Amino acid sequence: MPAEMLLTVLIFLPLAGCLLLVPVWNRPHLSRPLALGVAFLELALAGWLYAAAPPAAPGGTPLPGFFLWADHPWIGRFGIRYTLGLDGLSLAMVLLTAFITAVAMVVSWRAITERVTLHYFLILFMETGIMGVFLSLDLFLFYLFWEVMLIPMFLLIGIWGHGRRIYSAVKFFLYTLAGSLLMLLAIIGLYLIHGAASGVDTFALPALVHTPIAPATALWLFAAFLLAFAIKVPVFPLHTWLPDAHTDAPTAGSVILAALLLKTGAYGLIRIGIPVFPEAARTLTPLLYALGVIGIVYGSWVAFAQTDMKRLVAYSSVGHMGFVVLGIAAWTPVSVSGSVIQMVNHGITTGALFALVGILDERAHTREIAAFGGLWGQVPLYAFFFFLFSLASLGLPGLNNFVGEFLVLTGVFRASPTAACLAFTGIVVTLVYMLRLMQEVLFVTERSPMPLADLTPREGAVLAVLALVAITLGVYPAPLLDLVREPVALLTAATGGTP
Amino acid sequence: MRLYLSFILLLPLLGGIVNTVAGRLLPRRLAEWLACTAVAASFGFALAAFLSYRTPVTVELFRWLTAFDFQAPVALYYDPLAAVMCLMVTFVSTLIHVYSVAYMAEEEDYARFFALLNLFVFAMLTLVLAENLPLLYLGWEGVGFCSYALIGFWYRDEKNATAGRKAFIVTRIGDFAFGIAVIWLFRMCGTISITQINGMGTAVPAGAITLLGLLFLVGAMGKSAQVPLMVWLPDAMAGPTPVSALIHAATMVTAGVYLLARMFPLIGSSATALAAIAVTGGVTAFYAATCALAQRDLKRALAYSTISQIGYMVLGVGCGAVTAATFHLLVHAFFKALLFLGAGCVIAAMHHEQDIFRMGGLARRLPLTFWPFLAGSACLAGFPFTGGFFSKDSILAAAWLKGGALYGSLYLLGMVTALLTAIYTFRLVYLVFAGPPLTVPPPLMGTPTPTLPHQGGGSIEAPRLMEAMLIPLALLGLCGGVLNLPAYLGEGWLAGFLAPVPGDGNMEASSGLEMVLQGIAGVVALIGLAIAHVRYSGERRARLIEAAVGPPSAMVAFFQNGWYVDALYRFLFVRPYEALARFFWTRVDEGVVDDSLDRFAALLGATGQGLGRWTNGRVSVYILSLAAGAALLLAYLAWVVL
Amino acid sequence: MIVPLAHVLILAGIIFALGLACVIAWRTNVIMMLIGIEIMLNAAMLVAVGGSRLWGATDGQVFALMIMAMTSAEVSLALALVVYLHRRKKTVNADEFDSMKG
Repeated sequence: MPAEMLLTVLIFLPLAGCLLLVPVWNRPHLSRPLALGVAFLELALAGWLYAAAPPAAPGGTPLPGFFLWADHPWIGRFGIRYTLGLDGLSLAMVLLTAFITAVAMVVSWRAITERVTLHYFLILFMETGIMGVFLSLDLFLFYLFWEVMLIPMFLLIGIWGHGRRIYSAVKFFLYTLAGSLLMLLAIIGLYLIHGAASGVDTFALPALVHTPIAPATALWLFAAFLLAFAIKVPVFPLHTWLPDAHTDAPTAGSVILAALLLKTGAYGLIRIGIPVFPEAARTLTPLLYALGVIGIVYGSWVAFAQTDMKRLVAYSSVGHMGFVVLGIAAWTPVSVSGSVIQMVNHGITTGALFALVGILDERAHTREIAAFGGLWGQVPLYAFFFFLFSLASLGLPGLNNFVGEFLVLTGVFRASPTAACLAFTGIVVTLVYMLRLMQEVLFVTERSPMPLADLTPREGAVLAVLALVAITLGVYPAPLLDLVREPVALLTAATGGTP
Repeated sequence: MRLYLSFILLLPLLGGIVNTVAGRLLPRRLAEWLACTAVAASFGFALAAFLSYRTPVTVELFRWLTAFDFQAPVALYYDPLAAVMCLMVTFVSTLIHVYSVAYMAEEEDYARFFALLNLFVFAMLTLVLAENLPLLYLGWEGVGFCSYALIGFWYRDEKNATAGRKAFIVTRIGDFAFGIAVIWLFRMCGTISITQINGMGTAVPAGAITLLGLLFLVGAMGKSAQVPLMVWLPDAMAGPTPVSALIHAATMVTAGVYLLARMFPLIGSSATALAAIAVTGGVTAFYAATCALAQRDLKRALAYSTISQIGYMVLGVGCGAVTAATFHLLVHAFFKALLFLGAGCVIAAMHHEQDIFRMGGLARRLPLTFWPFLAGSACLAGFPFTGGFFSKDSILAAAWLKGGALYGSLYLLGMVTALLTAIYTFRLVYLVFAGPPLTVPPPLMGTPTPTLPHQGGGSIEAPRLMEAMLIPLALLGLCGGVLNLPAYLGEGWLAGFLAPVPGDGNMEASSGLEMVLQGIAGVVALIGLAIAHVRYSGERRARLIEAAVGPPSAMVAFFQNGWYVDALYRFLFVRPYEALARFFWTRVDEGVVDDSLDRFAALLGATGQGLGRWTNGRVSVYILSLAAGAALLLAYLAWVVL
Repeated sequence: MIVPLAHVLILAGIIFALGLACVIAWRTNVIMMLIGIEIMLNAAMLVAVGGSRLWGATDGQVFALMIMAMTSAEVSLALALVVYLHRRKKTVNADEFDSMKG
């Protein structure tokens, strides 16, 4: 198999898995393991790519920093090409995607009892979309995959959700769609401007990066991209779809939404938004700083008042993703590395927390914080993992989240000490709500509505793996940092980021 | 050296991990043995490292945070300061681990306890040995976390869990300042290695040094419970007593002092920063001593005395006397651990009674506890020729030598505090150990009367193993002075050993002056004892205990509640924070941001509905609309053409 | 050419307007509406024939024949529908038949 086929396989393997599910549509006991098998195969492929990926061969690919590259004409009339590329940044995201998808499948193993196969079908379908987003280097293709991931999530929330699931699903869908349609307009605008300037009609990102654009136009186009990405991240004040979507989504949906979909927004900013419009981005940097800091402090503050565990974790996502936005806004090598690390770590930690809340919900059929207490004595294993991931989430050094946050703050301080100092208050605000959650759920007296069962071996195993990853990334993050080093260096250098 | 240092850290970590993962499955004895052995072996390696020490060394173990020019490896730095800290931490930890085996004998969740205790030792040693600031921060946060988890060890009681949470949050406010200092230093110096930063003292602008000094001071305030971030330490006494002894007396709370001493070469050149440090220390020492005077809870009294003593250390650093501060840190670790462990013996013997007004006559019943406790009290009160006497005096002498109105008044404040220290120390001794054993328990205000052990026929005795641990500490506390004898009595070993620690502003006092100063200090301590004797012995003691039944007078209550700072903070910060959180959620997030969105959606929906009503199925309406549209089009065309 | 095209167009416009007015004025009566539509179609046919005469091409006349054939077919079908509708609701008022509204 030629190397460039690998990327196509990586994207479409889950889709092929979807087709495999069709013959066993009404036999969940077959479709479940089959889907999980596909997810594991995908994970193995991603892992193998990481293990085998040669250090970027100079001249081997049209762009420096990329390990693998695939490029074919697709719709020639409009210059749309099928261009995929894998560099360290994409690889980090691909690994996260493959890992979290498998995790999401395992944690929802028993939770889904209706239309089981459709559930797994949608998850695999979504994996294709997410992989595509992380690997596309043609903006049209990127847009296509961007929309592909939207629909399965809409259905996941709408079909298997709780509470006001239709409201939440529609809200999520419309919100994201509004952003992405603006992005489509901006993509077409960019395409036309580039075509007029260079005479070559192309959607290829490497070419579009060098488009000369009038500053005012660039600002408008960047604003459109920014809006689409900011909705996904989400950035204050565009975040209100998130608590609703998270709270009403089924466990697997919450995990994937938090761990992966939010990352596509930040990834888009790093890969497309700022490299294509460096000047416009620099103009809007103060705004991004402000929104990042507000996200951190405000999100965490609001999280403190929540009474629903899932909502609390959802607001904590707003806070954690604020660090990512801040790091990208500063656009220094250290801060962008920190943002990427924070993306991965937030995926793991928050994914695990959503899984934990989902596990509790599955047993007690409520997520109200007030309904629980003293879980440490009641379900020790569960409580241990809850404790561990809460600690990771509050940024305890030695666990994973600290690495990203600290690097972001270090990098941001170079560009803007004020923003960094304000963001640093986030570590206190985060601590406050996390300690409240831990205390009310894990400690004090037992007041759960019913005797709860501790983790099953399946749940324990998947959480143990997540915990191992969290600790490893906290103690020895060097491999991950090395992986993203070169792409970040190239991206920041190309746009003349502050050293 | 690499081997020694790695093992110093690795063993407690391994012990902690094993007990975390498998502690519940191991037999109890094995889990306990594992925890104690890990720390004891760590002490062995610390000793070996100390004995083979020649020059400061840096050992890099593996890469940690590495992004471009930001390089924070897991690297250890072993110099005299780290060496003595390592020895002290591992030694005290070993004793307290062994003590805990007896103290926690009836606790079922022993695995969690020992795992956390081991992890704490690991984090503390990381803090001490760290070569760069992020790694130090790791240890710093790590001890904070272990402290949080151990204060709330008995998590079923909400009070304990809340105390742990309070400790974590308040110390993290300090960490916030510390963290900013770290990233600022990186921006200015391009490195976060402590040794390199300390070598750059002159390259950093003076204003920045002052600000950095203040940031580090705020960090130290949080961790070392200095005014105004001291409110967490008295509450932290909710944890098991060995934890109070290890974390909240001997080791963790002195981390702030260690940090200031570590960064002294950098921040020492700023007079403003030093003055701020000195004032903080002096004020804290005085504040906490006044509070300690009025406490009824044995452990809370000791907690306030810890705050006060750390205030002395901070004052020492502020006077530029890093050696004196370190000296007091070491001696204090010994005698305060001793006092807490002694208190633990008393509490265990009294079946978890902590009110000193309900104790008495324990000198005869617990002689093996009494004598070490007395030794510790003598050190705390600064009796002549005990360890505490020499160490405290060297700090006060430094303040005197510094001169000037500010440091002069701080010297006076320190002296007044020393007097108060002697009084509250012997107040404790008299109330707990002297007098006849209480036979009739005075009913406490508002609290249900627990059955007293004296009546229930319960025996009053502390486990032998626990009492045995007091003796080495008592000896070290009493004889700690030999570590750093004043010049007129011989050579100051510690000063000589610490001399390579750069930047210590060592001021030499003439022997005569030093003797005079020490004489004053000794007399002050004795006056304190005399006052305590008059107030708290014999008849007066009995009357006091009777009076204690009623509500305390306003002044006593003021001191007892720590000048009501807690209530003030609750009013100023906690309540508004909670109210604002609810406000942001319901009014801003749901009320404005989300509601405007919903309204927009509703508006769109209503518009659609309204327009949809046009399509009512009546052909006549359609025809009219068609005609109107055609007319409009014609009119437009006419307007364009004509 | 005896009659100028402009006159033909004016006549056709007048006939069309009459037809439209008929439809609008009797919009409650399906039969009157059909008559109005026929009149408008006649106007269109007139324009087609006039154009055909002007350019000397037969297309317009062929188209006029097409319209005649189509109109007769349409009217027969429409009247059948009207009869059917009248049987159902005993009325030819178009506004009564609104069951297909959106």
